[in-house]
Amino acid sequence: MNEAKRHLVTAALIAGLLIAWEVTGQMKLVAGGTLPAISAILSRLVAEFPEYLPHLAETLKTASTGFVIGNVIAVAAACLFCLFPLTERLFRGINITVFTVPPIALAPVLVIAMDGNAARITLAALLVYFPTMTAALTGLQTADPRAIDLVHAYGGGRFKALWLVRIRTALPAVLSGFQIAAPAAVLGAILAEFGSGARWGLGSFLLGSLGRAEPDRLWGIGLTATAISALGYVAAALAAKWVTGENRALGLTVSQVRSEPERGRLHKAVMVVAALVFPFVIWQVLIWMSGLSPIIAKTPYGVFEYLFLGRGAESAQTRLLVALGETVPVTLLGMLVGLLFAFLLSLISFLSPTIMRAILPFALFTQTMPLVALTPLAVLIFGRGLTVTLVITTSVTFFAAFVVLAQGFAMIPKSAFDLVDAYGASVLQKLRLIAIPACGKWIFVAGRLALPKALLGVMIAEWLATGKGLGNLLNQSRGYLDYGMIWTVALVSILLSVALYQLAELAEKLVTGGRSKK
Amino acid sequence: MQGLPLSFNDVSKAFTIKGEALRVIDGMTLECPAGSFTAILGPSGCGKSTLLRLALALEEDDGGSVKVGGDDPVLARRSGAVGVAFQDAALLPWRTVQDNVRLPFEVLGRTPDRKQIGDLIDLVGLKGFEKAKPGELSGGMRQRVAIARSLVTDPRVLLMDEPFGALDLILRRQMNLELQRIWSAKRPTTLLITHGVDEAVYLADRVVVLSPRPARVLADIDIPFERPRGPELLRDPAFHELCDEIGAHLDSGRGDA
Repeated sequence: MNEAKRHLVTAALIAGLLIAWEVTGQMKLVAGGTLPAISAILSRLVAEFPEYLPHLAETLKTASTGFVIGNVIAVAAACLFCLFPLTERLFRGINITVFTVPPIALAPVLVIAMDGNAARITLAALLVYFPTMTAALTGLQTADPRAIDLVHAYGGGRFKALWLVRIRTALPAVLSGFQIAAPAAVLGAILAEFGSGARWGLGSFLLGSLGRAEPDRLWGIGLTATAISALGYVAAALAAKWVTGENRALGLTVSQVRSEPERGRLHKAVMVVAALVFPFVIWQVLIWMSGLSPIIAKTPYGVFEYLFLGRGAESAQTRLLVALGETVPVTLLGMLVGLLFAFLLSLISFLSPTIMRAILPFALFTQTMPLVALTPLAVLIFGRGLTVTLVITTSVTFFAAFVVLAQGFAMIPKSAFDLVDAYGASVLQKLRLIAIPACGKWIFVAGRLALPKALLGVMIAEWLATGKGLGNLLNQSRGYLDYGMIWTVALVSILLSVALYQLAELAEKLVTGGRSKK
Repeated sequence: MQGLPLSFNDVSKAFTIKGEALRVIDGMTLECPAGSFTAILGPSGCGKSTLLRLALALEEDDGGSVKVGGDDPVLARRSGAVGVAFQDAALLPWRTVQDNVRLPFEVLGRTPDRKQIGDLIDLVGLKGFEKAKPGELSGGMRQRVAIARSLVTDPRVLLMDEPFGALDLILRRQMNLELQRIWSAKRPTTLLITHGVDEAVYLADRVVVLSPRPARVLADIDIPFERPRGPELLRDPAFHELCDEIGAHLDSGRGDA
């Protein structure tokens, strides 16, 4: 198929899906009209747009401020980690925490500890930090080693190498980080608006509209939020495309034997302990600096006291354990469903790139959707049971997993397929013999990335829909002004997320390690 | 400017890979007098490149000493006395040809010598391509940019790690001629690492053959041919006799292993 024909097929498929949506809406096929026709949503959106403006402006302001602050910190941190690798190990605990933290658990804590506006910006910045930092660090570290050697050969130090070679090399990676960071900033802003009782902002607007049974209005807000996310994504993607053209590595890459720094066991143990303790130290210092009352702002010891020593300790423990018992199994189930979905999608994309090209815009679209803004709609369609939790969880987890798995499929050398083709293998045989085994390692990577997101999805569903588990406990504690429980749930959900992530990493190591030995 | 002497005195180097020590160079001594042209031949992975990286202070030795002009290599490179070309052109893809050639000046914090940059681009036959990006050049042209860059600071020591390894035979011969001409004009002390026996004999005053890892000197042979050496030397029976002799030394090294 030639290029023009491909675009035509893609356009036809997209048009078909949109028409299907319109017809479904017009005929009220889904749950008594909870999925309105696109035309109905858009006409209402246009009619009410003046009402949207102040909310839209507020969310844009918060998200863009958070975006800038988060990215500046992320790039600075990446440079620091690249220049002094020891700092990266020291900050490992912080970085994993920031990556795995369910923002919904953090929002109430930030609102307690900070002024509302600062809390919203902080949450947006926090969600921006990780994607940009990892992308920037990878970019900085993968600079052409020969070019670095060259700088050293003329007496330049690591700062010169950073300035002349690494930063420019990392630029496309940083911009691709921005692609993920832009929707994350919008999500952070809306989540924080949700939890902070602000007057303006799309999150507040949505919260105010929840009570009315007006699906077209909810869809209008959801689509608006998605549109600004998607705009940020596209802007970053265009910028990335513009710079990558010049950046492609040239010539052959020459492998070079390099000594690994020798580290004793003691050194390793010290680094692990430091990475573990460091986040708590920062927590403690931030609380001290804030000068807030210990009743509202809990220190690490404050949480320990609440959960184990205080008067209501036993009741608090019971409530927490019940909530955990509800949240953990659903999170694991959600991750599995998300992975399965991602696997099927990457399989389809592998078998038929044309279908994929049509699906991809929609998949990207779901990624820029601020999840919270669409949860109420999911509730309208799927009710308040396990289904809605799984739908929400899958929609947050599948994309990252899909990207990883598709990459796994794409990395299979073409010659491997040519080889079995030469023996007349069928499509299924190609899958069984080559594609699926080659994907094994990637499934674990995908799982590791999906787990923290699964927890976020489950907690959002619990908060807004099912009224169970950690998400609900958090929401309830806010209502009762039970500060100890708010901090405890925040801490426990972060610890849970980190623990799940580490377990997944361990499983990945066991599997890949076992494989490389063969 | 005069070349600086380069010396390796009882140098050893081992790498630690997955906890195991790999001895790459074991007590090697090699003197390159000021203004000499030395070619190093040896099987792949024998430690030739490591030798060069030691002279550039890109690796630290485990024993013995490496001196450039009687000084620590770190001091030598900081003073801008050293020029280097790697097997890979290692050009920065976002910079034009002239900006790539200018890079050493920027690292050294010196004002770029515009005339020198222009002359060198001319010398390597890239006049008219000053504003081109590396992506627009062929592999051979990129390698010539790298050669120009290695010469731009008027180095007193020139270290080259298979700079023509990626080129085809015709281009390689042409580059050999050019390198000889440049070297004769400026006489930097040159250490050329190569896989090509004929290239080594054609260019160098002296060819050093190394053993498989850990690297030892198997043979140290003076090349008597008059300079300037023209392309007709490649058809001289005496030239081929010497190449065969050196090839035999390389084979004997393989027999030892």
